[in-house]
Amino acid sequence: MTYKTDEIWEDKWVNTTCGVCYCGCAARVRVVNGVPVKIEGIKESTMGGTGAGLCGKGIAGLMYYHDPSRIKKPLRRTNPEKGFGVDPKWKEIEWDEALEEISTKMKKIMEDNPNKILFTNQTMRASDGPHNHLYFYAKAFGVPNNGNFIIGGGSLHCGNAAHMLGGLIHGAWSIAPDWRYTKYVLKWGSSKGTGSGHSAMTNARLRADGVRRGIKEIVFDPMGNFAGGKATQWVPLLPGTDTAVGLAMANYILNIRGEIDELYLRAKTNFVYLIREDGTFIRDKETDKPFVFDERAKKIKVFDDPSIAFEDFALEGDFEIDGEKCRPCFMALKEHLKQFTPEWASKISTVPVGTILEVAKGWVDNAQIGSSITIEGQTFPYRPVSSVTFRGSQGHSNGIHQVASIDLISQLVGAEDVPGGTMGWPSIRRKYPGGEYERLPKVGKDGVIVPSVFYSHDPWPVHAPSYPCTNSGCVEFWSHSTLSHIPYVKEKDYIQEKFGVEKVKPEMIFGIAVNFLISNSDWDVALENFKDCFVVLSDIWVNETDQAIGDIILPDTSYLEKDTWSSEIDSFFFNGSPSYEDWYVHLQNPVAKPVGESRDFMNVYLDVANRVGVLDKYHELLNQYYSISDETLKLKPGEVLNWKEIGERVLKWVYGDDKEKIQEQGFATWHKPIEDVYWRWNMPTRCPVYMEFLIHDRRAAEKIMKDTGFELEMEMDQYGPLPDWFWPTSHKELDDEYDLLAFSYRDVLHTNNSTFQNPLIDEVSQMSPYTFTITLNKGLAAEKGFKDGDIIWMENKYGTKENGIVKTMEAQHPKVLGVCGQGGLWADKRPIAKGKGSNFCKLLPSYLRHYDPITGNIETSVAVKIYKG
Amino acid sequence: MPRWGMVIDVKRCIACWGCTIACKEEHFLPPRVFFNRVLIGETGKFPTSSKLIYPILCNHCTDAACVEACPTGATYIREDGIVVVDDDKCVGCRACLVSCPYQQRTYYDQKVKDREFFPGQGKTEMELIGEKLYPLKVGTVIKCNFCSERVDGGLKRGLTPGTDDEATPACVIACPVGARVFGDLSDPESEVSRLIMEKKGKQLRPEFGTEPSVYYID
Repeated sequence: MTYKTDEIWEDKWVNTTCGVCYCGCAARVRVVNGVPVKIEGIKESTMGGTGAGLCGKGIAGLMYYHDPSRIKKPLRRTNPEKGFGVDPKWKEIEWDEALEEISTKMKKIMEDNPNKILFTNQTMRASDGPHNHLYFYAKAFGVPNNGNFIIGGGSLHCGNAAHMLGGLIHGAWSIAPDWRYTKYVLKWGSSKGTGSGHSAMTNARLRADGVRRGIKEIVFDPMGNFAGGKATQWVPLLPGTDTAVGLAMANYILNIRGEIDELYLRAKTNFVYLIREDGTFIRDKETDKPFVFDERAKKIKVFDDPSIAFEDFALEGDFEIDGEKCRPCFMALKEHLKQFTPEWASKISTVPVGTILEVAKGWVDNAQIGSSITIEGQTFPYRPVSSVTFRGSQGHSNGIHQVASIDLISQLVGAEDVPGGTMGWPSIRRKYPGGEYERLPKVGKDGVIVPSVFYSHDPWPVHAPSYPCTNSGCVEFWSHSTLSHIPYVKEKDYIQEKFGVEKVKPEMIFGIAVNFLISNSDWDVALENFKDCFVVLSDIWVNETDQAIGDIILPDTSYLEKDTWSSEIDSFFFNGSPSYEDWYVHLQNPVAKPVGESRDFMNVYLDVANRVGVLDKYHELLNQYYSISDETLKLKPGEVLNWKEIGERVLKWVYGDDKEKIQEQGFATWHKPIEDVYWRWNMPTRCPVYMEFLIHDRRAAEKIMKDTGFELEMEMDQYGPLPDWFWPTSHKELDDEYDLLAFSYRDVLHTNNSTFQNPLIDEVSQMSPYTFTITLNKGLAAEKGFKDGDIIWMENKYGTKENGIVKTMEAQHPKVLGVCGQGGLWADKRPIAKGKGSNFCKLLPSYLRHYDPITGNIETSVAVKIYKG
Repeated sequence: MPRWGMVIDVKRCIACWGCTIACKEEHFLPPRVFFNRVLIGETGKFPTSSKLIYPILCNHCTDAACVEACPTGATYIREDGIVVVDDDKCVGCRACLVSCPYQQRTYYDQKVKDREFFPGQGKTEMELIGEKLYPLKVGTVIKCNFCSERVDGGLKRGLTPGTDDEATPACVIACPVGARVFGDLSDPESEVSRLIMEKKGKQLRPEFGTEPSVYYID
């Protein structure tokens, strides 16, 4: 509060955007005498929590500015040796020297092959510089797609399967319940609404209101902590077994109870497409469109023939086309699901049969199939049931089947992008009134939605696996990986050799705020795979990756010092509200002067692009990205602008005459039409729930494997069109000795490992019983002879181990260990973080078989044994 | 005269610690000193156990044990029900600290004052400005004051505590899920009174007999 004295010459609030996690919530900062001293949300904006609410870690973000451990000048490694425990012998150098060295190196590599440069970033500070800018920055260097990105932070734990399905079904990055109208929510390994996931505080606000309204929330999760601890009902299950429960529920809905939204399935899914015996679509030779059967006309037609009414698309029946027998693929689903009984699912997941049936019954009872709702004069189907997944359930070697089975239950009752149902993040972004920038999804091949914007490569149309691969990510072969896993894989060299990549062996890493060495999987494998590169990273501290392998570390500004107009213009599908409420876009206004000689990485990137000679290309890509057609605003060849100056042009294009007003206010809100929220029945798209493309992809992949003599273990049966059960790799490694499954989870206080260095977060983490500990079920602990406070080791089958402090709890499955992700840090220049918590990631083995063969998601549970330390 | 009180909706609360950290920033509290905390635990047995979350702060009791224990009259209840410490009168005997059944008081001595958020690296500009903006007196007991500066300052400007942000405690404003409501317990029409009535608000450990002004609903 203001105890004003004569010494206080300034006391003001500045609106900006939080940069502590990737959500980018609305934030305003109290600045006294030029010093940021307090943070809260922005009441006037729809974005974020209730009123001026903001989560604890967001409020604590102040310390990113105040941390005396911040890097203040560029650092050059003088010790050529790299590795864990090696002193880099840093030497401070001048900016010009650093940038000259970097650009000279880049130019030399580019003369050979630009794909030898790996570009990388981390989801911890998405709001500081949207990923897309970095993707097309890489493009300016001649790097074509996501294959040359290695990722830290959220890493391969998070998203490859969820984003693939989010893109295919919703044209969106992720999914959330329609909190405003739903009644019955199933959450599978997801903490949406309870502090994590995209738009975390927006969702938390919407959920809290929904819970007060009486929503029933059922959480399937190995631990009853953040999501499960707040649920109406927490259902413990083994990690990676959600598929089994989901399929048993789908079987109940379709075959046992037999209550489905037939009209939805006929009108909005590809279940009506006719398949031949081998499961592939029969297509019209001329148009290549799949055939369907019109029940009224009793005729075979192409799927988008305008003469067929929704209700006339056949879901069942035996037909013949040119002498070939065929049937709607819905019939294949119906038969396929019969094998998944609740008893079978119970044995796999440990969820009692009665619980599976009770939840499935609740789902159908609440779905109100056939009902409609009128909101603001418009009538929509009303399906107040929602089934959402995220990092927990999708992060497994069977990831795509996990998310597909969880989605299937929404599909069967038509609860997709309608009031009360499962919502994609906004896939439509209408222009600001008077502005120009707009992004609308398209209807693509086979009627599948093509997202208006997507990080990395688009999920649709799919690209069949091919080779030779042109970059270290081998994305031509793993064509469904949102971000490639190959750079982290133990057998990387073998894979790259087989797929013809040896010519682009990475020579340089250029990244922002990443800690990829310790945040994905086995540290030694990551070290081996990356240590020979020339590593240039931009960050506010020297983290573990910097210390182990960094060659040049550039001091970045923290989000509190940035002038980042680009915060959310194009991340609406990531940070927007999935519900029916106004659009919002926030800018990141600087609240303090840059610390030391730190520079916003975007300005550094522009400088490097200029030195390397690709700045004009970058400008051209930026003009294209924002579709700037006004010649006075276009970025022109030869111009050298900083990020703020570029922003002046882009913001004028995006907001028109309101640009200055919005810059001054720090944010914009405008009306979101209701039909853009509940768009499902307004857009002529069909969900590719029957993933026929995987049949073709399997054939293509197997041919490549045969042709190249590729012999590594890959579970090719996963390349099937229907969600199916596959044991996660971790379960296969369980035995009498390695008898527990360790898993990690997101604590509301932490974003990857960056928050561990924040003393305000650190001190409350120490008061939280679970944040810095290894959690064990009380019964299990008693059986093993462990009690609270004991130091234990967790060791995997490959001899990698990590220790930590035991905290017992009732609300945890008795066969698992829980660890809050990315502790166990050791960088010398992050003294608050050093030694706190345990590092889970290092325990994850990184052989190819530990990754989802389709999406590249890593298996995020691991078989371990535990013993006293 | 109003009697200020708070209702905390534990059903809404997600234990994000926003209240705790916002309070620290509001009052420039040194490391390991808290006017707001969150107690986290569980009840029941696997698999039907439940997580317990209780955000706690000074209860501003009507029959406050700390007031009774204070030998100098430094701790007193204002007319509006807020329990405060007059640091001119406090002699640092810590009888209140021992008597508070809710453990909501902290003795602020030189050692506490000297604590640094980044140990061994000196105080940050924020800590130094905090000492000017919100000076705490060494050798006294400190505690939550329901942000009486905000309440009083707001009232002077014609604002309504509990409705207008600037007149409302910082922890209430900070809560991203609207789990905290501040208002006048003596007004039966106020939101706090209505919530206590409708949702059967409970005081924490009423058996202590101190008649807290903080209620919990679930």
